[in-house]
Amino acid sequence: MTRYDTVIGLEIHVALLTQSKFLCSCRASFGAPPNSQCCPVCLGLPGTLPLINEKAVEYATKAGLALKCNINHYSRFDRKNYFYPDLPKAFQITQDAFPLCNDGYLEYYVDDQLVRTAITRIHLEEEAGKLIHSGESIVASEYSLVDYNRAGIPLIEIVTAPDIHQPKQARLFLEQLRLLMSYIGVSDTKMEEGSLRCDANISLKPSGSPVLGTKVEIKNLNSFRALEKALEYEEIRQSQVLDSGAKVRQESRTWDDRAGKTVSMRSKGDAPDYRIFPEPDLPPLNLDPVWVELIAASIPELPLERLNRLEGEYGLSRYEATFLVNYPDFGELFLELADSGLDCKTVVNFLMGDYARLAREKGHLDSERIAGLFQILDERLISQTQAKEVLDALFSSPQTAREIVKDKGMEVVGDPERLRPIVHQVLEANPQLVERFKLGETKLHGFFVGQVMRATQGKADPEAVNALLQEELVN
Amino acid sequence: MLRLIDRQEVIRMARLARLELSEAEVEQYQADLTNFLTSGKKLQKVDVSAVEGTSHAVSITHELRKDEVGSSLPREEVLSAGPETVDGFFKVPRIVEEQE
Repeated sequence: MTRYDTVIGLEIHVALLTQSKFLCSCRASFGAPPNSQCCPVCLGLPGTLPLINEKAVEYATKAGLALKCNINHYSRFDRKNYFYPDLPKAFQITQDAFPLCNDGYLEYYVDDQLVRTAITRIHLEEEAGKLIHSGESIVASEYSLVDYNRAGIPLIEIVTAPDIHQPKQARLFLEQLRLLMSYIGVSDTKMEEGSLRCDANISLKPSGSPVLGTKVEIKNLNSFRALEKALEYEEIRQSQVLDSGAKVRQESRTWDDRAGKTVSMRSKGDAPDYRIFPEPDLPPLNLDPVWVELIAASIPELPLERLNRLEGEYGLSRYEATFLVNYPDFGELFLELADSGLDCKTVVNFLMGDYARLAREKGHLDSERIAGLFQILDERLISQTQAKEVLDALFSSPQTAREIVKDKGMEVVGDPERLRPIVHQVLEANPQLVERFKLGETKLHGFFVGQVMRATQGKADPEAVNALLQEELVN
Repeated sequence: MLRLIDRQEVIRMARLARLELSEAEVEQYQADLTNFLTSGKKLQKVDVSAVEGTSHAVSITHELRKDEVGSSLPREEVLSAGPETVDGFFKVPRIVEEQE
């Protein structure tokens, strides 16, 4: 792909996590029986009037602030007219000429390099209903089923500048955006449930050319992987079209995940003509700057800020810090434990090790119970090997680590005065081996350690045993 | 009479609005819309350079609603609005045609 430069822009729809819908008070939750959360307003029955959900405006503003956008104190709603089965009113209430937010950016890492993608605008709009196609894809379907529960849920549409230059970068951008939205709590960002969706525009131009090529829009990208794969496919397809001397056709294509290719979509009827005009049923939004400042003050530490802090203040590697940022539940736990004075590296190694596997199966432990485990390890009450057993027990019982160790009789014997008689017994029982050791057969050291461990049912602290053996055999 | 809007444009707009017009209606709308546009042309002559643009008939600002869940319609009532339903869904015919 050296002969062409790839230019990618994304349009991301994020469903906002409100209790009720955007313009009516129907419940906005996912998973209810089809068409059970609908009312005259969201069904577009005649004579109804919409009323804007305050939380939707707050969340959209919060998203705009987190993406470093200008928040426009004046913004306006427009009516976008088109016929499609998922749109009960035959128009969508959206923001066209005067969006709520514009001119922001998102910073993220691509292969250890911090890059920035400009956000052109963010606007508020209503979600459409959900279509379930009878065939494997929309193009292969004789009919479709419609559920309007989703119709009217508040959405933000985030539009990037054509600033992205490779399919992998597009995926990394979207992953970082998803993380940002979940950090600020405005969406549950589940691609599989459709609360985060992405369309991609991609065009190729001769390397170095200032003129953009003809763009193709790709829809139906239901996962991060699908986004990357579809863009990779389109890069190759478009370069082959251009190589053959033909022109790329401006069109919408849909990603067929099963076949691993994009397919041209042609809607019945004309090219889109949305006849957009100001929404007569909704007055413009005039945001109070004080309210916007209150929202700004409610924004927590964002993923990149946290990454920088974990590296800078806590001395973690990029790999460790990224893990804790990508799994904020682990990140919070790390901060609690590290801030309580525990060693950062020890804590992060612990969290990323066996603990991660167990916590994903069974849910997290309280930080105090974890700290209790570190405490008895620090006291050398148990060995590292025994710590794994205690950790397992912590996940299945409400006991503290200390209680578990006591109940199981697991305390490590590290006290030299308790171990010395056992060491003596072992040496006295094996006089010939002691002779051989003294003549230089040092590998027998391990045998003596094993005998002491056996005599103590594994409770002896190996380090203490080593020290004692050294003392008894060498001196 | 000079027609400010041609037949094809009337037919295109009707199609966008999913209206089926008879020949006589196309003729009628072409005449009516020409009248509208003629009036519009007169208005365009007025000097409005000193007047601020407006998008709404009344100048009021927004009113927001608290994010509280209210009642929805019974499902049977919702579904009764569509010609065909399956398992609580509305059923609609083919949406997109395949083409390569």
